[in-house]
Amino acid sequence: MSTKATPAVVIDKCSKWYGQVIGLNEVSLAIDGGVTGILGPNGAGKSTLFKLLMGRLKPSSGNVRLFGVDPWESTAPYRRVGYVAETEKLYDWMTGHDFVSTLARLHGMTREEASDRASHVLEFVGLADVQNKEIGKYSKGMRQRVKIAHALVHDPDLIILDEPLHGCDPIARTSIMSVIRDLGTQGKTVLVSSHILDEIERITEQIVILHNGRLLALGNLHAIRDLLDKHPHRILIRTENPRKLAEYFVPEDPVYGVRFAEEGALEVLTNDLSAAHSVLPRVIVESGLKITSIENPDDNLEALLGYLVGGTS
Amino acid sequence: MMDRQGRGLSETVWTRLDRKAGAITELTIRQLRNRLSTWVVLAVSFLLLVCLLALFIGGVRDGWEPIDNDNDSHDWDGDGYPAGQEYKYGSDANDPFSFPGSGDFVQEDYFEWGGVGQHSGNHTWRYVTGTFTYNWIENNPIGGDVFLDVSNLDDCPEGEMFDDFWLDWGSGCSLSENSILVHEASFTGNGTFRTQEGWGGVWGYMEDVFYVEPEPASNYIDEDDIDWTGDPNKINGFDDDGDCLRIGWPGEPEPQWWWENRHDPDGNGNGIDCDVQWILDSNGNVVGIYPDNNVDEDPSEENLAYEDAHRAFIIGTGKIAFVMILGIFLPLFLALGLVRDETENGTLHYLLSKPIHRGEFITYRILGYLIVAGGFVLIMSLFMGLVTASLGPGDSIFRLKDVIVWLGIAFATILALAAYGAIFNTLGLLSARYGVYIALVIGVYEFVMAVLTLGGAEFIPVLSVSHWTLQLIDSIVLIVWPNTIEMHLIATAFQLPSGITAFWNPPVHTLGTESPFVSGLLSVIVLMMITSLMILFGQRQFKRREIM
Repeated sequence: MSTKATPAVVIDKCSKWYGQVIGLNEVSLAIDGGVTGILGPNGAGKSTLFKLLMGRLKPSSGNVRLFGVDPWESTAPYRRVGYVAETEKLYDWMTGHDFVSTLARLHGMTREEASDRASHVLEFVGLADVQNKEIGKYSKGMRQRVKIAHALVHDPDLIILDEPLHGCDPIARTSIMSVIRDLGTQGKTVLVSSHILDEIERITEQIVILHNGRLLALGNLHAIRDLLDKHPHRILIRTENPRKLAEYFVPEDPVYGVRFAEEGALEVLTNDLSAAHSVLPRVIVESGLKITSIENPDDNLEALLGYLVGGTS
Repeated sequence: MMDRQGRGLSETVWTRLDRKAGAITELTIRQLRNRLSTWVVLAVSFLLLVCLLALFIGGVRDGWEPIDNDNDSHDWDGDGYPAGQEYKYGSDANDPFSFPGSGDFVQEDYFEWGGVGQHSGNHTWRYVTGTFTYNWIENNPIGGDVFLDVSNLDDCPEGEMFDDFWLDWGSGCSLSENSILVHEASFTGNGTFRTQEGWGGVWGYMEDVFYVEPEPASNYIDEDDIDWTGDPNKINGFDDDGDCLRIGWPGEPEPQWWWENRHDPDGNGNGIDCDVQWILDSNGNVVGIYPDNNVDEDPSEENLAYEDAHRAFIIGTGKIAFVMILGIFLPLFLALGLVRDETENGTLHYLLSKPIHRGEFITYRILGYLIVAGGFVLIMSLFMGLVTASLGPGDSIFRLKDVIVWLGIAFATILALAAYGAIFNTLGLLSARYGVYIALVIGVYEFVMAVLTLGGAEFIPVLSVSHWTLQLIDSIVLIVWPNTIEMHLIATAFQLPSGITAFWNPPVHTLGTESPFVSGLLSVIVLMMITSLMILFGQRQFKRREIM
């Protein structure tokens, strides 16, 4: 565990340019303990941030400290860090157990220690039964989990996961999410990046939002969410008769307008999303209409970002 | 497990480093083993060596033909006498009309070119074309193929010579019982010669003709062995075939041209005719051999050439197949992508997220490659060694020294593999895209430098890995077979065809000591320095590299 004196991750006014393009712009951040979601669309600077933390990139300005040490200069902090890179390539000819135990030996473990630890973490990520199969035969979710296993094999204090849910099916997603939540409850510091709000929401409340290389927001997702809920929102309801349904919605308090955006759908406009959702079931029952779907098109990262950067959602 | 100080071995820093080194080295070996290209390269290399061995075994099974080192057993001019016999009788070995006992042709007259000539008499006719009607003709008295073989003439075809049929130069055909048709032929006979229109020829007579039995060519093969007493103060060398002393030979004609020299029986100028001067250094090693002309110039192959050829096969295969081909090609295929491929695949992230220094990482990768490539070279050299040691010339059943030389060749090749591996890996790091092209250019450069070194160049190729590797092999050969230098001197002094002179040169960079140990050690140091510098350079590059 990291001590209070030296937080696991400290980033101080850190910028990174790729030639003329900016990857990270004056970001300052300190993270210690718990699961933190790094949220941002593609190209927001999430991977840049992680690569700076892992000493792959040198900051153009500012400082990066991992347990108080500059990771560009020293590999010492990696003893306490597990990193799951975005890359999807693996040594397909190795078995899962082979892969994890070989990499464990790079921590200075003996063959036996490495083998025991590999079996242990593979069980933790739910790959115990396929650990002796070649990685080339793994499904996408298994491949992500074997990557996570290699990062956990030395029982690190800080775990950095770059898009660990990318490309996984719902079952794999659920199992990886539960692994990450478990790590959080074990008292580890976990950084996990994603560009999907819903994914992060199911893992953690503590988030950092990056956009165009800037740190846009930092804090509790729900607090941010509440702010967002007070902002104009749309609810898209698909029904056989949108005009009739509109008649029932217009008198309701949280609703300030309706639109017929597309055929067979009603767009309800509101300033208070939770209030609107609380009246929704009653109105639908009153209308007696058949509803095929209800969507919240503004309840995603883009909408959140739009709101945070001050544009319209 | 405890170490000598009683510490738990598992706790020392060294063991931890060891484990990391072991893990990366092992990973590298397993990766190379799992790549098809590795097996293809090794299989092609194996086939190359097997082909060379097949040639070697074929050579051994064919046995040895005695070699005519001074080229005097051949009948160059086709007159039936070997050159050596012609020298002895003072006839011209390159003139078909000049041979022992051929006498001298005295020309009496000639046919004019351009018309039709006719002449009768008993003459020797030379280069005549036309019809000869005779009452007597000499039936190829001397032998050889210069004079017309009258007894074996075919009947002439119908028609006119040159219009309807053609005769070979110097040949003829039979027109009737005592009449022949000839084209530029020579013969002796009594009759009337009528030239073909437009053709000429001469006639005359021979004087001082006598018959000499042609000797067999074998009399002039291996006829003058090396006569070395082992003591440089005694008179060494003996002119077994007498072509230096020339006792009883006809007097040599006066030189006609400024570049022609009279035969000098004391070419080495030591005051003794027809001897060989041997110079030894204070340790008793032969350092110089100065023979008079034509002394000991055609030795028996039994003593020298078999051993020379055997050693030449080992040295030549070691230098060309091992160093110049395997040494350059294995690293091109196996070392160029050691770090580059990991970067391109993105798998480098797994390795570099571990507490391992990037510099160490490069070193262990090269170590892994070296175990694969070096292991292959070592096994192949032992394999070659077992075959050559079992089949080589000499009294012993197994030539142990062969195996030692092969191990030396493997050692030198492994040092070259390390140097090239470090260079090519660094090139792959410098430029993932163009590294392979630069590596190819370096490969060609190294090959050319190796060829120059084989040719005996001492200073131009010092800026190459191959030069030092070949010099290391030269040094090891001289350490294991100290008399190689003597064989080299003998082959050079007596102008014998020698593989050793082609493939082996005495080591040059001995810092004035002339010791093969010094040149060998210097070569090892230079090769290791090149490897270390290239690894350090690669490490520096890689350390500062941002990995996307």
